[in-house]
Amino acid sequence: MFTLPQKEFRMTTACPGSDSIQDLPSNKGDGLERECSRKPDQKLLKFYGVGDPAAELSSSSPYLSSRGSVIKWFWDSAEEGYRTYHMDEYDEDKNPSGIINLGTSENKLCFDLLSRRLSQSDMLQVEPALLQYPDWRGHLFLREEVARFLSFYCRSPAPLKPENVVVLNGCASLFSALATVLCEAGEAFLIPAPYYGAITQHVYLYGNVRLVCVYLDSEVTGLETRPFQLTVEKLEMALQGANSEGVKVKGLILINPQNPLGDIYSPGELQEYLEFAKRHELHVMVDEVYMLSVFEESAGYRSVLSLERLPDPQRTHVMWATSKDFGMSGLRFGTLYTENRAVATAVASLCRYHGLSGLVQYQMAQLLRDHDWINQVYLPENHARLKAAHTYVSEDLRALGIPFVSRGAGFFIWVDLRKYLPEATFEEEVLLWRRFLENKVLLSFGKAFECKEPGWFRLVFSDKTHRLHLGMQRVRQVLEGQPQLADGAPPHQIQEPQGPHRQIPFSALPLKKIPCSPGGSEMHLKLWSTPSPAIKTKQ
Amino acid sequence: TSGPSDTPHTPCVQMRDQALRYRSIHTQLMEMVLTLQQTVEDHIMQLTTRPQQRDLALEEQWHGQAIREQEALLGRLLFQIVSFLPAGAPGDQSVQPPCTSTDSRGDVGGGQPVQANRQTGQMLYQESDFENTVISYDLSNRGIDISALYHLSFRDYDTYQGNKYHKDKNTLGYINLGTSENKLCTDLLAERLSQSDMTYVDEDLLQYTDWRGQPFLRKEVARFLTFYCKTPKPLDPENVVILNGCSAVFSALAMVLCDPGEAFLVPTPAYGGFAFSTHLYAKVKLVPVHLESQVTEANGYPFQLTVDKLEHTLLRAKIEGKKVRGLVLINPQNPLGDVYSQDSMMEYLEFAKKYNLHVIVDEMYMLSVFDEAITFHSVLSMKSLPDPNKTHVIWGASKDFCISGFRFGALYTHNREVASAMSCFGYLHSISGIAQYKLRQLLQDREWIDNIYLPSYHFRLQEAHRYVTRKLKASKVPFLNRGSGLYVWINLKQYLDPCTFEEELLLHRRFLDHKLILSPGKTFMCKEPGWFRLVFAARPHLLRNAMRRFQQVLVEQAQERTVKQLEDAMKEEVSTPQPEAPASPALRKS
Repeated sequence: MFTLPQKEFRMTTACPGSDSIQDLPSNKGDGLERECSRKPDQKLLKFYGVGDPAAELSSSSPYLSSRGSVIKWFWDSAEEGYRTYHMDEYDEDKNPSGIINLGTSENKLCFDLLSRRLSQSDMLQVEPALLQYPDWRGHLFLREEVARFLSFYCRSPAPLKPENVVVLNGCASLFSALATVLCEAGEAFLIPAPYYGAITQHVYLYGNVRLVCVYLDSEVTGLETRPFQLTVEKLEMALQGANSEGVKVKGLILINPQNPLGDIYSPGELQEYLEFAKRHELHVMVDEVYMLSVFEESAGYRSVLSLERLPDPQRTHVMWATSKDFGMSGLRFGTLYTENRAVATAVASLCRYHGLSGLVQYQMAQLLRDHDWINQVYLPENHARLKAAHTYVSEDLRALGIPFVSRGAGFFIWVDLRKYLPEATFEEEVLLWRRFLENKVLLSFGKAFECKEPGWFRLVFSDKTHRLHLGMQRVRQVLEGQPQLADGAPPHQIQEPQGPHRQIPFSALPLKKIPCSPGGSEMHLKLWSTPSPAIKTKQ
Repeated sequence: TSGPSDTPHTPCVQMRDQALRYRSIHTQLMEMVLTLQQTVEDHIMQLTTRPQQRDLALEEQWHGQAIREQEALLGRLLFQIVSFLPAGAPGDQSVQPPCTSTDSRGDVGGGQPVQANRQTGQMLYQESDFENTVISYDLSNRGIDISALYHLSFRDYDTYQGNKYHKDKNTLGYINLGTSENKLCTDLLAERLSQSDMTYVDEDLLQYTDWRGQPFLRKEVARFLTFYCKTPKPLDPENVVILNGCSAVFSALAMVLCDPGEAFLVPTPAYGGFAFSTHLYAKVKLVPVHLESQVTEANGYPFQLTVDKLEHTLLRAKIEGKKVRGLVLINPQNPLGDVYSQDSMMEYLEFAKKYNLHVIVDEMYMLSVFDEAITFHSVLSMKSLPDPNKTHVIWGASKDFCISGFRFGALYTHNREVASAMSCFGYLHSISGIAQYKLRQLLQDREWIDNIYLPSYHFRLQEAHRYVTRKLKASKVPFLNRGSGLYVWINLKQYLDPCTFEEELLLHRRFLDHKLILSPGKTFMCKEPGWFRLVFAARPHLLRNAMRRFQQVLVEQAQERTVKQLEDAMKEEVSTPQPEAPASPALRKS
């Protein structure tokens, strides 16, 4: 069995796989938390992710600026993990005992369809104009096509306009650009957690913008109908908490379909969230990067662009990309749709730095234009394959008696492995994650998504059958060898990590010692998250 | 470093000199305030009439929109006024006569904030253009700043994009000899990129990859640079970081080498995009090392860079409390076309080492040296670098391979810490896997590059250069005759009267009126008014047309100048017999 040396392990927990940094960004933007965990006296000060991470980094390099040192630190944590995974990547023929990646959210099911489509003769055109400096918002032909595409697939009540479209090299860049033009340094966006954790880095790197978590939990209470349900009340509380701490919140990020929950907001819910944002004059960034990856028709997904009337159209900004829906995360195509010309122009002003190759823009236009292929070939097949893979994994989990959250969208299942943790701590979560890795299967642990309950994992199922089966087999092996808590154990009985901090892997460090009693100095902490019996984690 | 440079950077109040000299600032400010007043009145009107129409939902929506627009306009106006103020604060100076090019006392080595300079300069032909400068209360201050700076810097470029010259379809469109873009060999590139080896699609190309660039491309870039830079040892792919364009590389380098407010030294005139790239995200300043056209004892040839000048500027900047972290060198130089000798380069590097500065060497035009008598020496070809851990080299394919639309830039650095920190920016500046594959195919095809591409490319550059310089000589326009780059640096001082940056902009505008775009020296932070960069890397028919327009403008400008001189002379005659008549400041001046 393969064991990681201690030093490497520490790093890999922070982020396994540079690919999966997109998905496992516990080496997230606010490296300050990790830093301040080493300096207990500063803990409270940094509890909300306000402040200057650069100021916290003691080991600065003689070659780098303070911010450069922080940035390098992010990368190094990822880099170590990257080596670990890629040193031992699974390959059916060459390395059958290598690591299977069920951690990175990529769709590997439809490469055959895509490669055929991208190799057709209409894709091969090379015009001199495509080789020259473009319109920085994206070539007009592509923006026109994006507007048409989104009008159709988002079912917008009126045709969308090309002048409201800005094209960039991926949604990461888009988050970065929006953070920069909507916030001053140190200001913040609200985001319901668990969430796709890489966003933390994207808004931090250039923008120096923080995320304020709206913590959701698994327990269904009051009027809620499902676990991790987002309510306006929770939004209000998180916003209040941030305000009371003097953190200026400028916007709200919604991911729909949600990553990692696979949750889908109903039009009614969306409307409520948007009204909330309008009341507080917040921008809303709606990330719809999985909008065509809803494989259960009954889920009833609706794009925000399909709403008859947006409460605050000038502050509603929609993001989409081909990375997920067309299984092309390496193609780097993302787009913004906003009716706010000032925002579009400001984002476009940054596009010199986030441009997309002209030839690729041409190919994207060809792809998006081909509704016949999309409707008749690609989407039916993609959905069928996603559904089959999903069925396989969910049946496996049911057989193991493992609860999970999944609503028929996205590439992943949000799996509840709390009963496999001897203690409900993030330290144990990482230990379990490590056991998976030792058994050569890579998953993403909940902490990487800022989930506040230890024991949740995201399991990506959109991989080829043989890899998926083997991966699940390895998951089973680990779980079957893992002692379970008695069924009656209250899931929220959570304790602090034991032992000295230096033995705790980085990603577990953010766990803080918080008294269980309500009131007192803890109250203000609670405002940051939804009310929960015991644990508060640093966000 | 120690001493004054360690003190935190303070806003440089003393650096507002140059802009003050524009007489028209005063008038413009007045105009702005008047417009602002009008807008405020309209705005209040909107607000007061609003309740009467509250019952009509549609009406209200319309109203909301109108108020938004008003507010946006308000914001824009305020922003513009505010951006004027720091530059023109001492009001009494605004009526001073403009400086001439020889009067350089005020702006020598002053290290004016580049951005303010450029803004103020460009603002001069800006006033009627408010509606295009989209600024609103929805944006953060830096968002407004970014929008405005972009708009001001790329206004001409956007105009051009909207109305390009086409020999059949749009003969009245703009010809752009302002943007340094290589259009000489797009045919060869289009042909090469259409070949069957380019169309490969692999699963890896469509998935997340190494954010520093695909390993196969980094390997190829290392091989490519090893060969064309003639390095003593093979370069290491691990030292290569690939991002989507050199602007992105520059922006990320500014982030990882400097904290906000810190600065790079840059000999000027220099490519203006640097100022943009360092400021936009990273908020890093440029301290210009002003070079002079006049040949003197200390200045062996026009715009010569010497260690003395570097040292002088650096020390001055330190006294002013600026924290200078590095030196930026462009070789071959843009816009001068100079190629540094190995010895000079070594001196600059030694200077940097002495003061513990990073050196960023931009070798963007390394394969665009078309004069066979000139040998380009890459900094990577040196046997030993004075400070290898602080020497960072940038190259991209945009210029040398006519593919500015491909978005590819590479950093080569021996410093692993810098490389690591830079790699993190791969999340935000990544290149499509498909494009990376094509680039690899292109760079590895040495046979095509050496036997087909480079010979044709250099031949075409020579031809275009010969044509343009012949025309310039015929028009008696002085220029720097260098053998590299895509441009000539020309001197149009004789057409400016008086020789000021204001007049330079007016001349630039006259070119625009004739649908010709050139880059005025001001955008290169040149301290002498009257210089322009003319890009000649265009196809012959375009170039012929452009030069025709160019000559036409010069003829007009000369005529106008003569008329103006006559008028001035007459005014003087009129005013002499009546010395007691109250004279306006402008008249008193003449």
